Formats: sequence, structure tokens, C-alpha cells
Amino acid sequence: MIKLLASLFIIGASVLLGNEYANNLVNRPRYIRFFKNALQILEAEIVYSQETIKESLHAVSNQIPEPLATLFQHIADDIQHDQDELYPIWEKHIHVFYRSNPIQVDDKEILLQFGRTLGQHDVIQQQKYIRLAINHLERTLKEADDKHHRYGKMARSVGVLIGIFIVLLLL
Amino acid sequence: MDSVLQILPDHISKQISVFQKKEKLDIQEIRLRVNRPVELNDGKRVFWLRERSFTEADAKMFLNKISNFSLYRLEEELRHGFITIQGGHRIGISGDVIVDNKQVKAIHHVSSFNIRIAKPHFGMVQPFLHYLKDETIHNTLIIGPPQAGKTTFLRDIANYCASSKLELKTAIVDERSEICASINGVPQHLLAPRIDVLDRCPKAEGMMMLIRSMSPDVIVVDEIGNNRDVEAIDEVIHAGVQLICTVHGRSFRDITRRPTIQQLMQKSIFQRFIILSNHEVVEILNEKGESLYHGENVRTTPVSKFEL
Repeated sequence: MIKLLASLFIIGASVLLGNEYANNLVNRPRYIRFFKNALQILEAEIVYSQETIKESLHAVSNQIPEPLATLFQHIADDIQHDQDELYPIWEKHIHVFYRSNPIQVDDKEILLQFGRTLGQHDVIQQQKYIRLAINHLERTLKEADDKHHRYGKMARSVGVLIGIFIVLLLL
Repeated sequence: MDSVLQILPDHISKQISVFQKKEKLDIQEIRLRVNRPVELNDGKRVFWLRERSFTEADAKMFLNKISNFSLYRLEEELRHGFITIQGGHRIGISGDVIVDNKQVKAIHHVSSFNIRIAKPHFGMVQPFLHYLKDETIHNTLIIGPPQAGKTTFLRDIANYCASSKLELKTAIVDERSEICASINGVPQHLLAPRIDVLDRCPKAEGMMMLIRSMSPDVIVVDEIGNNRDVEAIDEVIHAGVQLICTVHGRSFRDITRRPTIQQLMQKSIFQRFIILSNHEVVEILNEKGESLYHGENVRTTPVSKFEL
């Protein structure tokens, strides 16, 4: 009886792990797309409306879905006059986001690189940096999409199978 | 002053606060230069804060703070060479200039900042008002050397014209943002209700625009000088609008020798001339050049601007 329960538990756990991995595969391209949208909105705010970074980030957070909305909201809220630089704020929040969401190191690096340029240049230069970040995201998006197509369906079944395999080994 | 201290790098604003407690100084300028100590002056004396110099990193940070971390918003300002901040303080900048088509495109690597603390003095005009108006305000020319208080006086008159006492529609062409220190077109210094400002607009064009669009009673401009200004003034006067302006010069005689001003004199456009020196009214003349008022105890030797 105990054996049966333990087996079920092991299979259940590996199914969950498989699902989690599969979800990550689905969500990563989604989030990268959101980031791309966010940067495009940011570009419009900066180039056409000439709003400050704080106002621009607020505008972005109003126009994109969660959890990015909260991310940008938090960054905007943290920009105060007594702050010396913008980058540390950006860095902190991107790190937190990275830890709890299915984006990868590559995506994080692109965002951090972009953060260094934010608000440091004239309009034309700033626009170039935004475009550059969008291009880079495009690349990781393609990679994430590929991975999703290749492993997305497999991940779930592999989860179940590995669970059964472990149980068989232990029997 | 607090709004300035807020955006300065921490170590500098601390030094300034400590210094101010020690030396009751009426700071006019705070000058920051990369790799040099911070300079404070009150227009007459110079003080140095030698504890820690202003660094390149500080300069970058300072620009970031001025622009709310959005340097792209300063493009226009970096081209003109000065930035107006909250409270009407003006920050002059110099550094590496980028030129495009023989025109200054921007200042890169800003190495010097000159923060001019704005303290609008009102009430300077009050004692002389009865010389300047009867039914309405006279066409007035304010004459004085640099730093004599011309702009301050002009601002004060503008404020008075637009206030509830005279209730004249007062329009200002503020070519260098000096009279009103506008931010996003909203004047920071002038609070009277009937004021309209054309900020950073060339004077001659500005005056014509105002007549066409704002139906002013009085137009106020700073530092007239070239032929186009004179032509525009001619138009203004004949449009039935009163005019108050300033011109560089030490005395009434001085300016009557200037060819452009001579034209205006021949047409006897101005009814009052006010001669200023060291923030004091030296003399007020009428349209014939006769003295209406002569200041007493007027210092004739100008105090040197900086005693280094």
C-alpha cells in the first residue's frame, strides 16, 4: 500500500515537473513578445511624446499585460529625485523578474544591456538602442519559439515517462 | 534654493549647506567644473569648497538628475546652452560642442555648469511708478550696463502691469527665457494674472506674432539692438500697443549714439528713459531727455563682478 502511494507520488511529481518545463517553454516566447511590445511603446513615448522615463514607463505599464505591467510600474515608482542613477533600479527589478519568470539568461542580458542606455542619449541615439534591443529580442524569440515547437509537447509526456521509469527502477 | 540642492550631487549639496550655515552668504551662482573645486559667489566675492572636487561622474549624474534620467529631453536645451529648472533657476552649460552645418547641434561631455540662483525681486519699481504712467503705462526704455538689474526691473514692471492694479494685458517676448524662466512655456517667476509669454522666440517675430494673436496692451522685451528689432518696434507703436524694453548702455548719451537706437529716438517713440546701475535707479528722463528724477547716493564706480 505504501509502495503504491510512493509510486503515485513520484509519478505525480515528475508530471508536475514536466508540466512546469512545458509551461516555461510556452511562456518564454510570450514574455519576450510582451517585452518587445513594451519597448515599442517606450520608443513611441520617448521619440514622439518626449515624456520622461518615469512617465514613459508608467505609460508602458498601462498598456501591457501582467506580469510585465507590474515590473514597469515598480521601476517607474522607484525613480525618485534622490536617486543618482537609473540603472541600479532597472537592474534590481529585472533580476527579480528573471528569478520568478520563465525568461532565460540571454533575455535578461539583453534587457540589462538596454537598461544601461536608457535615458543616456539624445532621441535618435536612444531610438537606435531601443531598436537594437528589439532586434536582439527577436533573435531570442526565434530560439524560444523553436524550442517550444521542438520540445513543447514532448516535455509533458517525458515527465510522465520519467516518473514511471523511476517507479519501475525502484520496484 | 532647496530645489537646487536637491538635484546637486550629495557631497556637494552637503558642503553647500554646511558652508551656508557658517557664512551667511546670499549665493548668486554655484559653478561646477569637472575636476575643480566648487565655486560659490554672491556677485562680489568668490568662495571655494575645497573638500571634494566635482568629478566627471558627478557631471553625468547631475545632467541625469536635471533631466529626470531622460537626457533626450534636454536636446533643445543642450543646443541653446542653458537649462531652466523648477523654481526658475538657470543652469548654463559648456563643454564639447558638436557642430552640424555650422550650427551648434549639441553640447556633449558637459564640463562646466553655472547654476544661477533665481531670486525674483519685486518692489524695485514701486517708488518710481508715478514717473512711468499717467492714464496708461508710458513707452519706456530701460538703460544699463550688464548686471545692472535691467531684467529684474523689466520683470517687475511686467508683473505690475499685469497685476490687479493696472490690469493691462501684458505680453512678453522672452528670447532667452530670462524674464520669466519658463518651463514648458509656463512662467516660473511671474505670477500676475494677465501675462502671456512667448518663450524663446526671436524678438522681432515675437512682437509681430503677439500683436496679431494676443491683442496685448503692453509688450515687454529684453535687450533690443538690431535693425529688425527697431522695425518691429515701429510696428508695435503704430499698432497702439505700449512698449517696455531694455538696452545695453551706461548713459542716455551712450545709447543715443548707437545708430539703431538713434532711429527710434528720432521718431521719439519712448516717453521715459530709466537709467540703472548696480540695481539702483540712477535717473529717469522724459521724452525730451529732461531729467525727472535723479538718484541720491548713487555709487558711480561699478563694483567688479568677481574679486579673484
